[in-house]
Amino acid sequence: MSETLLSVRDLKVNYRVGGGGIDAVDGATFDVPRGSIVGLVGESGCGKTTVARALTRVMADNARITGGQMLLEGTDIAAIPERQMNALRWRDIAFIPQSAMNSLDPVYTVEYQLSEVLRRRGGMGARQARTRSEELFDMVGIEKSRLRDYPHQFSGGMRQRVAIALALALNPKLVIADEPVTALDVIVQRQILDQLRELQTMLGISVILVTHDISVVAYICDMTVVMYAGRIVEAGPMKAVLTRPSHPYTMGLRNAFPDLAGAASGTLTPIEGAPPNLLEPPPGCRFAPRCPFALDICTKVSPPLRELEPGHRVACHRADEAAVLRELAAKTETWLAHA
Amino acid sequence: MPHLKAAANRALQFALVLWAVVTILFLMFRLMPGNPMAAYIDPTFTVEQQQALMAQFGLDKPLWEQYIIYLGNLLQGELGQSFRYREPVAERIITLLPNTLILTFSSLIIAYAFGILAGAYLAWRRGSTVENIAVPLVLTTRSMPEFWLGMVLLAVFSFWLGWFPAGGTRSAGTSYDSLWALYTSGEFLRYLTLPALTLAIYSQGLPLLLMRSNMLDVMKEDFVTMARIKGLSPWTVVVRHAARNALLPVMTSFAIAVGYQLQGNVVVESVFSWPGLGRELVNAVSASDYPLVQGAFLLIAMVVILMNLVADLLYGFLDPRVSHA
Amino acid sequence: MLDVASRKPNLVARLLRSLRLPLNDPFALFGLAIYVVFVLTAICANYLAPYDPTEILYTPSYDLAADLRPGQEGFVLGTTSLGRDIFSQIVYGTRSALLIGITAAFMVALIGSIVGLISGYFGGWVDALLMRLADIAFGIPFLPFVIVLAAFLKPSVWNVVIAMALVLWRDTARVIRSQVLTLRTRGYVDAARVAGSSDLKIILRHITPNILPLSFLYGSIAIGWAILTEASISFLGFGDPESISWGYMLQDAFASQALAKQAYYWFVPPGICIILVVSAGFFITRGYENILFPKLGR
Repeated sequence: MSETLLSVRDLKVNYRVGGGGIDAVDGATFDVPRGSIVGLVGESGCGKTTVARALTRVMADNARITGGQMLLEGTDIAAIPERQMNALRWRDIAFIPQSAMNSLDPVYTVEYQLSEVLRRRGGMGARQARTRSEELFDMVGIEKSRLRDYPHQFSGGMRQRVAIALALALNPKLVIADEPVTALDVIVQRQILDQLRELQTMLGISVILVTHDISVVAYICDMTVVMYAGRIVEAGPMKAVLTRPSHPYTMGLRNAFPDLAGAASGTLTPIEGAPPNLLEPPPGCRFAPRCPFALDICTKVSPPLRELEPGHRVACHRADEAAVLRELAAKTETWLAHA
Repeated sequence: MPHLKAAANRALQFALVLWAVVTILFLMFRLMPGNPMAAYIDPTFTVEQQQALMAQFGLDKPLWEQYIIYLGNLLQGELGQSFRYREPVAERIITLLPNTLILTFSSLIIAYAFGILAGAYLAWRRGSTVENIAVPLVLTTRSMPEFWLGMVLLAVFSFWLGWFPAGGTRSAGTSYDSLWALYTSGEFLRYLTLPALTLAIYSQGLPLLLMRSNMLDVMKEDFVTMARIKGLSPWTVVVRHAARNALLPVMTSFAIAVGYQLQGNVVVESVFSWPGLGRELVNAVSASDYPLVQGAFLLIAMVVILMNLVADLLYGFLDPRVSHA
Repeated sequence: MLDVASRKPNLVARLLRSLRLPLNDPFALFGLAIYVVFVLTAICANYLAPYDPTEILYTPSYDLAADLRPGQEGFVLGTTSLGRDIFSQIVYGTRSALLIGITAAFMVALIGSIVGLISGYFGGWVDALLMRLADIAFGIPFLPFVIVLAAFLKPSVWNVVIAMALVLWRDTARVIRSQVLTLRTRGYVDAARVAGSSDLKIILRHITPNILPLSFLYGSIAIGWAILTEASISFLGFGDPESISWGYMLQDAFASQALAKQAYYWFVPPGICIILVVSAGFFITRGYENILFPKLGR
């Protein structure tokens, strides 16, 4: 059994828009090791949710995977026929959505929705399903009596736990959590994340945690994958990426969270500008227009993702100067001067 | 307890509307031009009959006293004597009610069954040519006078092809022991077909468009996407989840549709000589048989008001968000 | 939905703009075209119709020109059993159809909008009272009501209009009220109040322009309902025998055994005309979905 559960190689996803199309994901490459939590982080529109949905192969009507591979234990789930993919859904790959309120059917009890998955997808009988449902509720910390309630009768945090219970129902290998705590208040956020961490350790599953909030990544992730404008710009062990960010974008992101180790300025420094319009993406590195360290080559040639230290990859032409750039990035003036 | 309070509210509203309609009816008939007694007394009644009616309805008393008596009589089911038939109005309209209800419900059930399935289908086939033709076509059915549709169907299927009889509920000369015997006879279906079909064609537009619209909305909901991500079969996703949610408003509209259907009944019953409340109302008005007019209208109004109440209650009952607040 | 705050100039232009007519929709254009055709026909009826619709006609050989098929003796759509020209009847029929349709629709839209406006804006007991009235109106079965009215009133085209004005404002009122409730919470209404505008001014300047599209919507649909109702009433024999309407034609045909005689040329054209005008109302507004099932509380 290899170390890597999922290997995404050069994934491309295109959205048909108007007359043309947008490559929302333009060559994403990253790995998900067995039994670890991988944080997929980036701002809105960077393509992280598209990647998450591409992994389930349930996407918007105008979206298509146009290239690359998604190797789940060696099988390319980007290419297998729908029938085969459907067999994998929920059994091997599960999904925790952003807002559990909208993702639970309002006219059925929670128990019905759990047993629906257990019986139809897991082949269980009624009694077996009941036992398992109780077990799952136990795991996520909800009392069994609440199984016969309807979704609207739960609070936000409880609903998210229900969603987690649902996701774990069939013992999947991989759970994709799409902004699972964004809609919750801070205290509940911590509780849910703790729960998630606990379950992950207990069951040995792999989790892809999609989020725009880097502090969430810092809180529970083992690995960090940073996305920008449809591409992966940096990926590696969480500590390495957050304490030794080697891509200017990651450096800038870190400045937005002063409680993380390493940001020296003490004031919040935004990255001026906005992500590029993906209908007409800039040539070369997509971050170049906003990057304080951009060189001429950055606007012409797209930097490849290369390994800086074991397990830590960066897509930047100036990756070798990372240490120096980090010093500069820690100063507010660097960013303001570029704006 | 909130449920009891809400239910009590609705019962009150029902009573209020019923009372108001009853009162409006009273005022209309009493205040109409001409002899106020003409509402209940026909000159051709015998003197004893006239006197009995005057006493029963207090026709020589002041208006407000008449009103009290009128309400009292209503509660006892006393609606006066029909001028034409010389029999109690209440009896007459009660015998006619089943015919009307059979026609209304059978046509609505067909309309809704078809409308729901077709609506769901059209939602599934969004943007296709079928949809582009079907929707305007449905609007057209909603734009035609029901009686005209009845006329066309009669002309084609009855007079030309001879497949169905031209009207009534049974052929002349036949008689049945009871209504039940009539309704369960095979012959009855032949008489029911064209009128029910006419009403059904007109009525299917609403559930069809409503179902389609709801399905389109529901299919975009997150829980439908989640059902697909869970790997559930298309049938489970579309029927068990999407349709079940989309159906909710359609079912409540059924109750209201009964009320509207009753109006359509009036003309269709006339075209097909169907012995129901609607046709009776029309005949009574033509013959100035005022007590019968009142009685028939009242009964129709009561069914409509009752159905409005049912619709309200149904919604609370079917939607867990309301019933399990 | 963009709110339209009214500015000084040109009331008419303002009103037209706030109606937001969907002129790029092929169906809307089709509907509009139908209306234009019928309105022109109604106006020029005298020139278009070869005969007076009530005139009993004779063939050159002095026979009654009765039950003639289309084309015979030069009658475009044939004749009735009484010897009247069907085509002329159709043409003149546009007049009563449009007259009743537009008047009734206008009354319904007007009353419904005013009630909805007052109810939604002022709230409180006014609202409660008006909505109870609407509940009662909903409890009155419309067509039977019109028929009962016919028992008392002289047969006239205006019976339908009166009945509609009394009862059918109910749908419009509820929807307009709901719309006004939403609008009332908008910031600029509060701002106007703080600035000292009177209620009337606020209603006229800020709220009315934003409910006009909805009023227009319901009005257009109401034209259809009015024409259908009038047709039903005439068919049942309660219409005005002096004026030849499409409904009257259908009653005439039915009573003259046109069905048995397979005289499709007699009873199909009036029905087609009704269908065209009523569906044009649906198509023009394009918001038929909003009409048939309003999502209250948008």
